[in-house]
Formats: sequence, C-alpha cells, structure tokens
Amino acid sequence: MSADQTAIGCGQYSRDELELAALARADAEVPVPAGVGEHIESCPVCRAIVDRFAADNAFLGEFVQVGRSRESSRSGSRAQAIAAEANLGPIAGYRLGDEIHRGGQGAVYRAEQLATRRTCAVKMLLRGRFASDRELVRFEREVEVVARMRHPSIVTLYESGVSRDDEPWFAMELVDGERLDVAVRARHASPREIAQLVKQVAEAVAYAHRRGVIHRDLKPGNILVDKDGVPRVLDFGLARADEDGEAAGNQVSPSAGATRAGEFLGTFAYAAPEQLAGDPNAIDTRCDLYALGVVLYECLAGRKPFEGARSIAELVEQKTHSAPERPSARNPAVDRDLDVIALRLLAADPARRYDTADALVEDLARYLDGRPILAREDSTLYVVGKTLRRHWLLSSTAAVLLVTIVASGIALAVAYARAERERARSERTLQGFREALGSANPESGKGSADISVDRFLGLIEENASDALKDEPNVLAGVLDTIGIVHLGFDDAKRAEPALQRALDERRELFNAGGCTALELAESLHNMGRLLILKNDLPAAEAAYREALAIRERDLGRDHRLALLTGRHLASCLRREQRIDEALAMYDALFRRASARPDYPPEEFAALRNGRAFIYFQNNQLELALAEFTGALEAVRRATGTDDDYRVGRSLFSIARVEDRLGRRDDALMHATAAQEILRKRKGGDAATVVDIEKLVSKLREPSKQ
Amino acid sequence: MDLDRTTTALLAGLFDPRNAAAWEAFDLRYRPILVGFARNCGLKDNDANEIAQETIVRFVEEYRAGKYDRTRGRLGAWLVTIARYRMLDVKRRAGTARIARGDSAMVDLDDERSVSAAYEAERRQGLLREALEELRTKSRVDPKTVKAFEMLVYHSLSPAVVAEQLGISTHDVYLAKSRVAAKLREIVLRLESEYEETPGEWDAAGARPSDGLRA
Repeated sequence: MSADQTAIGCGQYSRDELELAALARADAEVPVPAGVGEHIESCPVCRAIVDRFAADNAFLGEFVQVGRSRESSRSGSRAQAIAAEANLGPIAGYRLGDEIHRGGQGAVYRAEQLATRRTCAVKMLLRGRFASDRELVRFEREVEVVARMRHPSIVTLYESGVSRDDEPWFAMELVDGERLDVAVRARHASPREIAQLVKQVAEAVAYAHRRGVIHRDLKPGNILVDKDGVPRVLDFGLARADEDGEAAGNQVSPSAGATRAGEFLGTFAYAAPEQLAGDPNAIDTRCDLYALGVVLYECLAGRKPFEGARSIAELVEQKTHSAPERPSARNPAVDRDLDVIALRLLAADPARRYDTADALVEDLARYLDGRPILAREDSTLYVVGKTLRRHWLLSSTAAVLLVTIVASGIALAVAYARAERERARSERTLQGFREALGSANPESGKGSADISVDRFLGLIEENASDALKDEPNVLAGVLDTIGIVHLGFDDAKRAEPALQRALDERRELFNAGGCTALELAESLHNMGRLLILKNDLPAAEAAYREALAIRERDLGRDHRLALLTGRHLASCLRREQRIDEALAMYDALFRRASARPDYPPEEFAALRNGRAFIYFQNNQLELALAEFTGALEAVRRATGTDDDYRVGRSLFSIARVEDRLGRRDDALMHATAAQEILRKRKGGDAATVVDIEKLVSKLREPSKQ
Repeated sequence: MDLDRTTTALLAGLFDPRNAAAWEAFDLRYRPILVGFARNCGLKDNDANEIAQETIVRFVEEYRAGKYDRTRGRLGAWLVTIARYRMLDVKRRAGTARIARGDSAMVDLDDERSVSAAYEAERRQGLLREALEELRTKSRVDPKTVKAFEMLVYHSLSPAVVAEQLGISTHDVYLAKSRVAAKLREIVLRLESEYEETPGEWDAAGARPSDGLRA
C-alpha cells in the first residue's frame, strides 16, 4: 500500500478524512473528522483537493438519476442489473431490471426475487415531486387491497416493504402481456372474443366487489392480456375499500380519507358521470360497471363512446345527457345483444346499469352461449305493459284538457281526428256534430248536408275569431287546434293560416305577458309539424328546438310533452339526413321515456319507428327489423287490438325489411296480414295500401332462381 | 471527437432523404430525449411517444424546407418549440393534461422557461446515459473500478461496505471514484461537443419555428 492511502495533500490528513470533508459539504449529516474543517480553511492544498472531491461527487451525483431512469435507457437498466447482482439494489432481496411502466403513482420495474429466483414486478412509489403524504396513504391502501385478493384475472401481490431509500414498494406477479385495447386491435378480435375477454375481467371485478373492493380506475391500460390470452386486472392504485363493505363478513378496512371530497381520481374517459361529478359518496361498484362499459364499447367500436369533449364539464354533460352511438354503428359485426349490454353499462343513471358485476357476467355468458340476454333496452315492453293501465288514464285526462281549450264539440272532433287520422271516421263524427250543431243553431244547420270538414272548420274559425275577440289566448288555442285537424288530413294549405295566426298571436301575447311560455311552445310545436309537412326542414327544426327548449325548461326533460317535441325534432333531423344526431336523440329520448312508467305506448311505438327508419336507411336491416318489431308490439299494446291501421303499417314496415333481407316467406306473411288490416280500413292510407299490393304481388312471384 | 457523430454532421446528412443512417442517428439521439421531455411535461407514454415522433418528423420537414437556421437558435430550442405546440394541442384535446393524468404535471407548458429547462434536463440525462454506457463498454476502465463507482455513487453505499464487498481497500474505492469521475468528465465533454449544445448556450427566445405549426 502506498503512503497516500493514509495521507494526501499536505500530508496531515488521510484521503478518507478529506473525502468525508467533501461529502459533508453536500450532506450535513456526514460527520467531519475533528480538526479537518479548520485545517481546510487554512491549507490551500487540502482545500483544493476537497474542492475537487466535492466537484467529483456533484458531477457523479448526476448519474444517480440516470442509473435509475427510464426503460429507454439501456445503460440505466444495466446499471441496475449490475448493482442488483451484489444484492445491493434499492430493495433488499430483489434484483431490479428494466422499468416497465411509469404511472401517476410510481414506476414498475421488472425484478427478480433473489431467494426464490422468481421473476416479478416491483412497483415503487416515486419520491420527490411525485409523492405526497396522501399518495403514501394511497399506496399503502393499494397494497392492502391487492394483498387480499386471489383471482386468476387479478394480478397477485407477493409482498411489500420499504426500500433502502425509505421508498415504499411492493412486489407482484409479473404479467407478460399487452394492454387490452392493444391486444384486441392486434388480434383483430371478433366481438365474441371481446365479449369473452370482458367477461373474464367482469368476473375479476365481481370477485373484488364481493370483497368490498372497488377498482375505480378500470381502463385498458390496467388490463393486460397475458400470453395465454387471459386478461389480468392490475393497478388497484385508485381502489379503496368500500366503506359499507360486504355483508359476508369480510374484513374491510375503513376509509382512511385517502379520497378527498370533490377530488377526482379516476381517468376521465372511463369514469362514470357520477364519478366525474366528484362526489365520493356517489361512487360505488357501479362506477366499475360504467368503466367496463367504456372498455367494452371501445373494444367493440374502436373508439370511445364519448369523444371530443373539451372540458370535464362538457364530458359530464355528454355522459349525462346524450346516448352514445351503438357500437354496431361503427362495427357492423357487433350484434344487437352486445349493443344492448354495452349501452346498458353506459347508462348515465347508475340505477339503470346492471345491478352487479355478476349480472354482467351472467349476460355476457348468455350472449356467448347464444341464449337470450336478460338486459333489455331501456324501453322494456315489460315496463310498458305493466303501466298500460295508468297510461290510459292519463291519456283520457289529456283529452279532457283539450276539451277545456276549445268548445267541447270541436275538441271531441279534434281528439278523434288526432287519434285516428282517418277522414272517413272524422266525417262520420262530423256528421254527428253537424247535426248537434244544427239543432243548436238553426242558421248553420239548414241545408248543410254536404258540408265538408274543411268548410266546418272554416266556419268555426270565422265564428271563433269573432266570438273570442277579447280572449286572444283562447282564440290562439282554437286556431292551433283547427290547424292540427287540417294537419291530420295532411292539408298544409289550410293548416298554415290558422297555425301562423295562432303562433303570431301567441308570440305577441307572450311578449306582453298574456300567455305562458308553454302555450307559446305549443304553437311552436304545431308550427314545426306544419313546416315538416311543407318540407321546410330547417325552419321546422328551428321551431321544434325553440319549443323543446321551453318545454324542457318548464316541464323537465322527462315530461311527456318535452319527449314529444324531442321525438318530432329527432324525426326532423332524420329527414335532414343528420343521422347521427337523430339516432343519438332517439336513444336519449328512449332512455328518458322508459324511465317514465306512464309514457304512452304509441309514443314508444313512434320512437322505435323513427329509430327503425334510420337503421333501414343505414341498411342495418337486422336492427331495423328489431325496432319495427318492437314498435309493432307497442302499437298492439296501445290499441289493444290487431285491427288498427297502425298495426297494419307496422306489419308493412316489417315486411319491407324482411323482403330486403331476402326472407320471402316472412315478408309475405307480414305483408298479407298488413294488407288485410289496411284494406278493411281504407281511406287515409290509400298510398300505403297500393304499396302493399305491389309488395305482396312481387313476393308471390315465383322465385327467379 | 467523432466528427460523423456531431449534430452538424447529422444535420448535413439529414438533408438527403435517402440517408437513412443520418435519420436513424438523429432519431436515436433525440427521440428518447423528446419522449422523456414530453413525459416530464405530464404526457402519458403513448402521447409522449407520439409527440416525439411527430416532432422529429416535423423538424426534419422544416429543416429540409430550409426553415431551420442554426444561427438563429439552437436545435434544442427549435425542437422544444415544435414539441410544445404539439403538447398544447394534446392538452387542449384532453381538456387539460393535468387533470387527465390525475396527478399534477410537473412542467407548466405555458411557461417557456420551465419547458426549456425540462428539455435541457432530459437532454443532459440522455447524454449522461450515453456517457455511462460508453464508460462500461468502450472505455477500457477496469470493470471492478466501474463496479466500485456504481456501488459507491449509484447505491450510496459507504466506502467501507464497497471495499468489503469487492475485497479492496477504501482507498481503492475512492481512487476508483476519482478515475471514473475523470473518465466520465472526458466522455461527457466530448459528447457535449458532439451535441454542440451546452447548457449555457440556450436561447429560448431566438428560435421560432414558423407560425403555421399551430394549425
């Protein structure tokens, strides 16, 4: 050994002592040997040496970070490997390898547990700017939570501890796999395969839920598909034990307040609307179901259900108030059942999602087995049927309301005309009224045997204008009603003056405080109908939108009249070829309508018909068929009979779709049934009758093959 | 200095679209820096990778179009400006990057100084990594010396423990540290000259890619 092992510089102190002095400059904890400090002050030689050591230390200190950072660094990982060989890595007992992942909470390294030679993943909480006390609590929570669970689709936790640098860490099973979305894309997974994967994930989630554990951050990045194709859920970093726990007597740790009120933790796109709202009390297992819905949807459709929001507020708005397009609209291979399951999970109202992850597993299993799924679209016929009686009560109340608007005779005629839209019956009704009117008023009764509806309404309008001079609001109501009757006969020419007058009157009244916004909305709605008839779609849309805004504001979005105007607007959008908007609107209406037990089945039928036409237009024939069939069921329930022209029209629609699908026998059966019904009730639907005749004779032709 | 490896040489090579080697070398040098940089700005891995790639492609396009003039600003500042606009786009798309990640982003994209500092830190890291790699593979420094250095510096072990583990004296451990420090200094100095960007020469205000970038 050379002399300078013990002494360097001026020779008074050893190298070790001067090195310590250098270290002490950067770290106050380092003990400086007695006398060295003073010596350096007075000895330029030793001071220069210590300066150099300190500079070396500072320079080399830069490499500490490099050694630990990023998987992109080949050299860095090698540093770790070399260090770990001596079992002197940051964590005793483990050899750290490459960084696999760096997330919001920490970095995950590939590692080897030296004692067992087992390969695993070690997750470390990042220090410094990443870590806070709250994150520490969260980290400990994560360990607690994951440690409790053993499931083939949940990544297993081995052990946890604190590193040499006082960093908390845990070792878990290393999953060699791809993110779910990447795996799905890479394999061109079919909807069936996707359903299979999501079912397995749902099983894992159900398992966790039974233990009172909510994941709260499910997303494709937290689901790895391993080499055997098994999805594995990891990163329970945001999970917290459900405070209410499970009745099964599992030990559930109480919330340690790791989640602050109003603090949003989950990842945006996958977060349920109630989660986005930031109310921790609103978060329950159904948030995970929502996230699974987004995952399922994204895998099926190749995009997220809600995209393009520029702020959380906008995203919440979208998630709460609009329905995503069906996955099948993006990916035709997706069938209806999966559409239903995905959209069910994405319901804004948690109560409309599946009750439990188990229920989701069950439905996915049913789908995979080819059995009928249990989830229904929001408007279940069951709900409709159950509430049929209440509905009838309500609609007769509505009729009574109508009566109060106009003179009772007119109101009844109008109600009839609206309900039936059949000239013949109206004429018959009119006959009765004419007689009644004639007996009451000898002047108009005489010589009026051939009076037409038009003339009749004209007379009323004249008389009303005169009689109701001082009651402009009542007059507007009468004019509206008269216009509607004309609309019932598709007579825009006669409807227009009445409706225009009614609307003008109401606008003026409203501005002067002489009528309510809702009355104005009624006139606007009717104007919308007229404009549709005139095929002035942009103007119609504007009128409907104005009416809708008022009705939603004053009655609520779920009110029957708001839904009615909404349906008309959707239909208008469809005619304007704004298919996506129309479909989204129909879906939203559908959801709201089915939340109302008293929603009229004929309105349901109209909603389904509207949606069916869109599918038909999009050539999504199976979906169209399903919707038309649903509409038919609703019509049957509404009318309580098969002997109604609306049933006939529904059957005809079904026949047309079946014809396009090449199902000749079914098409012929339904077309013939439609023909029978509509022939009996000829009149208003002459054009339809002719169309059916054409279809039936075409279907009866011998096949050309 | 390896003249072919200088940024100047790389840039010269980049002019020729057929010079795949120059492209690769340029990409190899700057992409990891940009990825790390974007991550430090709060982007997720996917986005960060994308930003890095876009930035490099964009830069090369601009460069070939003659828009980049080295006399007006350093390459890094140019790259940062491109990347920053791209990140702001991502941020806008995601609402705000901070909330999207669910944690606080470290770098405020609106603050040019901290953005530049973040890039510089990343660039320096990249350079140090390269230096470390070179030390281990090409420098002919005794592996035991390297190991002593790593244990001492990287793992903050006491010289006594390192000495015991490696069967050498503490003096040797310190000596190893000094040798490695000198060697690394030499390598880093050379690499800096190859990168031709030293921390002191930053001129964030000088370089400005065309305004069209935002579009």
